[in-house]
Amino acid sequence: MPNHLLSILIFLPTVGALLTLMVKGRENIRWVALGTTILTFLVSLLLFASFKWGSGGGYGYAMYDATGKMIDNSGVVQMVESAQWIPAFNIQYKVGLDGLSFPLIILSTFICVLACIASWNIEKMPKGYFALFLFLETGILGVFLSLDFFLFYVFFEISLLPMYFLIGIWGGPRKEYAAIKFFLYTLVGSIGLLIVLIGTYLYSRQIVPATADHGAGTFDLVRLASPAFQKALGPIIGGLGGTIGKTFFVLLMAGFLIKVPAVPVHTWLPDAHVEAPTPISMILAAILLKMGGYGIFRIAYPLFPEAAKQMWLLIAVIGVVSVIYGAMCAMAQTDFKKLVAYSSVSHMGFVTLGAAMMTDAGVNGALFMMIAHGVTSAMMFFVVGIVYERAHHRELGRMGGLATTMPMYTAFSTVACFANLGLPGLCGFVGEVMVLLGSFQAARPGSILLNAGANPNTIRTLAIIACFGVILTAGYMLWTMQRVFFGPERAEQKNFPEVDNREILVLTPLTIMAVLLGVLPTVFFFVFTNQTVAGFFKIFG
Amino acid sequence: MTLLSAIGAPFIPHWPQLKPFVADLWIIVTIVAVLITPFFTRKSNIACALVALAGLTGALLCLLVVVRPEIYNFHYNGLLVIDQFAVFWKALLLVFVMGIILMWLSTSAWTMHEGDGPEFFTLLLGATLGMSLMASTSNLLMIFISVELASLPSYVMAGFRKTHRIGAEASLKYVLFGAATSAIMVYGLSILYGLYGTLDVHGPAGLAAKMATSTGGGALLAVSIFGLIVGIGFKISAVPFHFWCPDVFEGASIEVSAFLSVASKGAALALLLRQLMLISSAFNFQNAPHVSLSAIAAVIGVIGAVTATVGNTAAFVQTNIKRLLAYSSIAHAGYMLCALSLLVSHDHPILAANEINSPAQTILLYLAVYMFMNLGAFTVAGLVYRQTGSELIADYAGLGRRSPLLAACMFSFMISLIGLPPFAGFVAKLNLLLVLINNGGWWWALVIVIGVNTILSAFYYFRVIKAMYLADNNEPGFVPNPLGSAIALCSAIMLVAMIVGYNPFTKLTRNFSTIQFEVRQEPNSGLASANP
Repeated sequence: MPNHLLSILIFLPTVGALLTLMVKGRENIRWVALGTTILTFLVSLLLFASFKWGSGGGYGYAMYDATGKMIDNSGVVQMVESAQWIPAFNIQYKVGLDGLSFPLIILSTFICVLACIASWNIEKMPKGYFALFLFLETGILGVFLSLDFFLFYVFFEISLLPMYFLIGIWGGPRKEYAAIKFFLYTLVGSIGLLIVLIGTYLYSRQIVPATADHGAGTFDLVRLASPAFQKALGPIIGGLGGTIGKTFFVLLMAGFLIKVPAVPVHTWLPDAHVEAPTPISMILAAILLKMGGYGIFRIAYPLFPEAAKQMWLLIAVIGVVSVIYGAMCAMAQTDFKKLVAYSSVSHMGFVTLGAAMMTDAGVNGALFMMIAHGVTSAMMFFVVGIVYERAHHRELGRMGGLATTMPMYTAFSTVACFANLGLPGLCGFVGEVMVLLGSFQAARPGSILLNAGANPNTIRTLAIIACFGVILTAGYMLWTMQRVFFGPERAEQKNFPEVDNREILVLTPLTIMAVLLGVLPTVFFFVFTNQTVAGFFKIFG
Repeated sequence: MTLLSAIGAPFIPHWPQLKPFVADLWIIVTIVAVLITPFFTRKSNIACALVALAGLTGALLCLLVVVRPEIYNFHYNGLLVIDQFAVFWKALLLVFVMGIILMWLSTSAWTMHEGDGPEFFTLLLGATLGMSLMASTSNLLMIFISVELASLPSYVMAGFRKTHRIGAEASLKYVLFGAATSAIMVYGLSILYGLYGTLDVHGPAGLAAKMATSTGGGALLAVSIFGLIVGIGFKISAVPFHFWCPDVFEGASIEVSAFLSVASKGAALALLLRQLMLISSAFNFQNAPHVSLSAIAAVIGVIGAVTATVGNTAAFVQTNIKRLLAYSSIAHAGYMLCALSLLVSHDHPILAANEINSPAQTILLYLAVYMFMNLGAFTVAGLVYRQTGSELIADYAGLGRRSPLLAACMFSFMISLIGLPPFAGFVAKLNLLLVLINNGGWWWALVIVIGVNTILSAFYYFRVIKAMYLADNNEPGFVPNPLGSAIALCSAIMLVAMIVGYNPFTKLTRNFSTIQFEVRQEPNSGLASANP
């Protein structure tokens, strides 16, 4: 039975956006937007009913034995919808769901609802704001669900445009600078993506012949990653780990690492965050950065696993440097929001590191980190937004004693900070520990990296350095809490109102998620990813 | 009918001979009609525009209905040729010029002095005729005549705003530049004739074939090809022959700038493309002992790369929207030149297989997309000028609030000009990169150049977007001219339609990218019966 749930999910926000453009009055616009995001969230929950948890079915990395007989096509991707879009190039409209995209979809629709509530008091041009907001949601969901490289690229670019305006129109004093910087940085990366997209397609033309209903070649991401295809691709490009493979891998990684963002291409992030309005910061940190991480796991690693094995050191070093450098930068900030932005750089460094290590725990941990960071960073940015709304500044030096003035706010913030620094029992801990465990695992005999000729001592050294990131994180988070919440109460903050119902409405679900993910990570997360990650390791070899 | 043929028989050749060039004949008829229109009406400006529109519609219909594959051939002893490629270009040109006339009605009609209309449209149609012929000839004499036929009216049109000092300056600059470059071109062409003793590029006894088997004269040949490149490069506004472009665009009225930005460049590209195709196919896509195709390819590729880079970097500092679009059009001409460099040196099977996009198809597709982008962008610029009297980008501030429709259209043109989805500029650029990457080798350098240029260009196109949406002023909102808004909106819709319908679009351009290489002999062709 054809199931169009995924397409409905992608285009529901677009319909909502068109609706907001049609209705009049700020009140109506807000309700239409909120209704759309909630409806999208509910539709995304419907996916649970259709998702097969066990062996799965449908569409996988077809595995063949030596005689050419298919031995395993067990489900990596489910609920696939596909239709020919541009048969001349065999470009399809193809969407599907697997353990990699499922948690991110739930996270996206969830955060969008909360961000929509957080946008409730947008005064300036609400119609444009909410329409762009919903267009952005379509772009995001499209990126996470696309199984066709071309379609992915189109959504990847489309999601840039609303973000440019959301930062550029509704942002802070230097919004124009921040918006164009965000745009140009991502554009640089996506040019590389485009080149790889074309290059891979041209090579695939020699492997996938033309048929009656479509031209030669393929953009199908699952097919491009399947072992049979990889085996045929090897001789054509002069070995999978040859110059072409490596170049393509580097271009892909560059595109995605800019988005993640990793040091040294992270400089757009603090600017974008500082200038963006609170709800947009929430979306930016919680979801848009994950597009980079998602791209690494969906495209870069599966398409060029051999090159990834050979380039592991570069990627791992970028990850570790991001962790340490991001944390140190965070420590040096005096602007609360900039501090949280740099902590994002630091946390996303763990994702890069987890990918580079290519171990079961490392990859699972990196995927978990993306979700955990989605929850905590959205919460942190909202916490910053609340205090900014009252104080109209974000200078840490001018804050203090908020625990007396706003006890409930302090309680929520404490959860957010502790989740962010990785306190056991909250979500940040699981991701960091899994990635670090995975890194040490990579130094054990038989791991993929050691088989590819990596030096175990190098791996251990990097892992140990990354461990210090955890301590640095604890350092700057605790120091921040001390500066903001503790100490004597300040006169100018005496009349700050306590968090209102709307703000509680945003903070409570995030708090619950932070605790649930921390206490029951298997139930709430790994049950999704296990099968997909196992699929990855089939193709990593 | 019999009476007509009885009277006309000694003077008018038979209809089968005229049939292939029915569109061009219609343009000539329209010119005559435009010239006599003032005798019948006092409001001659608008009347002439309508007559021209009707004539062009007729030309387009005839082209689509009458010109069928069976008459694709060289005609008039090889002076003119009609084939898929020429038909596509002519249809594109006719649609575009109709758009230009509609644009004139919505933007500049109100400033034109009453009674100037007949001259203006005569010039416009004359240039159109020249540009239409440029794409359907491979005869040195016709090349020169058609280029001049396209250029001379353009010089006058550039200075048609007679009271504008800057327009007169632009026109003069254009004439001087044009005169110098066409002198160099005709010099090159005469050397070519002297070397090989024929004016035809095509055919077994043509220039191309003789060039392939030539045993000497390499230096003279280089000089003559240099002359040809100078002449064509001027029309394309390739660096270093681009200096006229921003000045003329700024000085001319908006519809003339739009006309030159697409039609003039497109025609020159089509002309060059045809000659290069003929030459390289005569060479069998390999270097001949005395003529290096790779060298020609390298020259064109380098010119393309430099043109794109210079256009994009110079656009950075522009404050006038027309100058910005002028440099943007230089950059886009550069991109198309990059694709042209592929025609010449080809050791790759894509042309033979014809399954994947050929460079000729890439250029046709690029031109079609580019036409809508520029038509739309110039229309919006014209409408804003009509409202505010300013061409400065700074005066676009708050356009998103003052006229949401125009701003949204302009936004889509800018995004499309950068080459981003969801607009057709993306597929044009994708196709371009596809053929370049497919060829590999040193074309990778061009891929990198285009990639870097895309990022450079994003910056200045976004300055327009920034002005429209991020900046604001206290000007009141306005309702733009409905006709102009319709043109802009249709162009924007076309840009989306071309990416959604990329499949039929790519098939269409693929079908129409074939070029006639040799005279096709047919037993009972009109040609034989008409020449007693």
